[in-house]
Amino acid sequence: MSIFAVYNIKGGVGKTAASVNLAYLSSRQGRTLLCDMDPQGSASYYFRIRPGSKFSGKKLLKGGHHIEDNIKATDFDGLDMLPADFSYRNIDIALDDCKKSHHRLAKVLRPLEEEYERIFLDCPPNITLLSENIFHAADHILVPMIPTTLSVLSLRQLFDFLESTGLGRTKLLIFFSMAEKRKKMHLETMQGLAGKPGVLASVIPYSADVERMGVFRQPLGAALPGSMAAKAYESLWHEIRERVAA
Amino acid sequence: MALDGTDTWILPEGLRPDQLMAALAGSFGFQTFPEYAAEVVYADSFDWRLYQRGHLIHCHDRSWTLYHGDAGEVTVQQDGPELGARCFARDFPPGPLRDLLAPLLGVRALLPLARVHLVGRQVRLLNQDDKTVARLVFERQRPAASTETFSLVRLFALRGYDEELAAVRRLLRENGVTAPASPLAGFEEGCRAAGRRPLDYSSKFSVRLDPDCTAREAMVHIYRQLLVTISRNLPGTVDDLDPEFLHDLRVAIRRTRSGLSLVKEVLPAEVVESARRDFAALGALTGPTRDLDVYLEQRDSYLERLPEVLRPGLGGFFADLAARRRAAQQRLARGLRGKKTKAALAAWKRHLNARSPQPADRAEVPVIELAGRIIHRRAKRVLRDGRALHAATPDAEVHRLRIQCKKLRYALEFFGSLYPEDDMALLVRQLKRLQDILGDFNDLSVQQQLLAATLAGLRKGARADLGLAAALGGLMQSLYQEQQALRDHFSEAFARFADPETTDLYRTLFRPREEPA
Repeated sequence: MSIFAVYNIKGGVGKTAASVNLAYLSSRQGRTLLCDMDPQGSASYYFRIRPGSKFSGKKLLKGGHHIEDNIKATDFDGLDMLPADFSYRNIDIALDDCKKSHHRLAKVLRPLEEEYERIFLDCPPNITLLSENIFHAADHILVPMIPTTLSVLSLRQLFDFLESTGLGRTKLLIFFSMAEKRKKMHLETMQGLAGKPGVLASVIPYSADVERMGVFRQPLGAALPGSMAAKAYESLWHEIRERVAA
Repeated sequence: MALDGTDTWILPEGLRPDQLMAALAGSFGFQTFPEYAAEVVYADSFDWRLYQRGHLIHCHDRSWTLYHGDAGEVTVQQDGPELGARCFARDFPPGPLRDLLAPLLGVRALLPLARVHLVGRQVRLLNQDDKTVARLVFERQRPAASTETFSLVRLFALRGYDEELAAVRRLLRENGVTAPASPLAGFEEGCRAAGRRPLDYSSKFSVRLDPDCTAREAMVHIYRQLLVTISRNLPGTVDDLDPEFLHDLRVAIRRTRSGLSLVKEVLPAEVVESARRDFAALGALTGPTRDLDVYLEQRDSYLERLPEVLRPGLGGFFADLAARRRAAQQRLARGLRGKKTKAALAAWKRHLNARSPQPADRAEVPVIELAGRIIHRRAKRVLRDGRALHAATPDAEVHRLRIQCKKLRYALEFFGSLYPEDDMALLVRQLKRLQDILGDFNDLSVQQQLLAATLAGLRKGARADLGLAAALGGLMQSLYQEQQALRDHFSEAFARFADPETTDLYRTLFRPREEPA
């Protein structure tokens, strides 16, 4: 089993769209679990799944049957989901109370590897104790990045942080998201980073279809299988699989 | 999980799917899929190798679907060969279905078992977010040979929607859907219509003997069971559906012959004499085709034994074997269909079913006494001959020991049910290990003889035969080396069989009381 975290310090960069679509594509090839870690619950919304009334951030950190009882099937065979609860907004406080607070998430996710071939974590932005947990738990950290100068700065912050915690950058797989060819800055940023270690060649272009996912509430591969955006995620997933296998 | 949550009920007569949907409409939204209709043919090997492992496969023309047997969930759906009278795993294109079927089926063929006409429709039940919370399938199944139609409702759960599932169950129940049904109702009924029942055949020999019965009763019971195996394998052997029919047929013949020679004076002498003759003739009739089957199954292993440059030499050899097999199979089919075979089997059956059997000296001896004496005697023989086994024992003597082992094995199988199960399992396991090595040794010996005979039959100086001669030489060398290597394991294999624990067990279980130690 491998755990993929989809993460960026900044919000609004297409994290949830990437999590939902990549998890869907992954489930075509083996049982997959998508964990919505973001208290806003956008990934859960995309799959029309609400958390159980008794589920909370504390239950998540307890693990075991507290997690298993709250996993729900999506409408797609082979893809299950652990929906986010609004109480996740206080999860750092709950984490702080745990022993080995940096490795708690890794510990509660490990038993799920018997059932799932891959687990995707849709992560909230910012650098918090939860994100540190996620960095430890994940085998690969997928970073969607809008190709702008500010994004490059925040990427550097992430590098520095990972270095300071001793994790290093090797887990990172960076790809460009919401990229617009007609914007000169986008093109220049992409050219500047192309071929650097951990930077993927596949690009998710800015697309109205991706924004419309909130309307039809399905992964693109299911709702608009022939669309440009669906194909972009497909080639991204293909590249990720090859990178991860190598 | 999802599989455990699946349930199937009979849709009562007079209750239409749309009426049921109307009752559900108060609580759920629907997404309805188009109706499907198909005539499917369920398939399995004669001995239910797929069903045994929880698989169910059906085809519709060239489209194959593999199901999880209990829950009816689809595992693989893929194009494959046309089934016809039978097809093999190797007929499927490379892919997940073939990968799954090949190890399960081995040399056995898939046979058409039941033909069922299906008409159905899937409905997804949605909550207020239009999220699917359960799936319903309405399906009518009509076995081809039957006039009866099964109208089924099947409920598929989605993980994490237990409350909704309970609500659907409640609504179904309140509307008269109460009679549970097997999701395989159509399949089972279709098998019945075709004269089969799941797991109604296994090549494994097993009889439960009553420890209080007489020797005659026990042997008649055993012979009858073997005769059933013979009759059931005859049609498939005649039609040449796959090589295992003939194999199972021959094993049953050999077991019968072994019974006749192991267990004396339980049936009248003249009955035994004529049965012995008849079954010897059947053994001889079925031998050539089986031998050729075994050689043909060696094809890949033979090619692997040779360097690439020598391999083409075997092309003609296998083509010749295949042609000889075709001819042998024709003779076999003719012989099995012939009057002589029919008369022999009928006479044997008549005797086994006779109401007032003719007397025999030991017919009324309690079976337990007879069984112990026979097994003990066979075991003593194997131990005596086996102790003399060493790395340089001539092939013929190894072969003789192999036959001794086989007789002991049959005796253990005939009477095993009279003794503690764990003890018998241990004895059979120990014996089997010894038999395996002796069997492999003998196969290698017989194969070398065939190759030597082929070599001797080649035309002197014919260029065309040069490649074959080289290949035969290479093969014989490889087989010989393997055979010699096995010799080094003889002592070890026998020592394991004859360890004190095992020999003690033979003594305590089987030694006749009156005999001194």
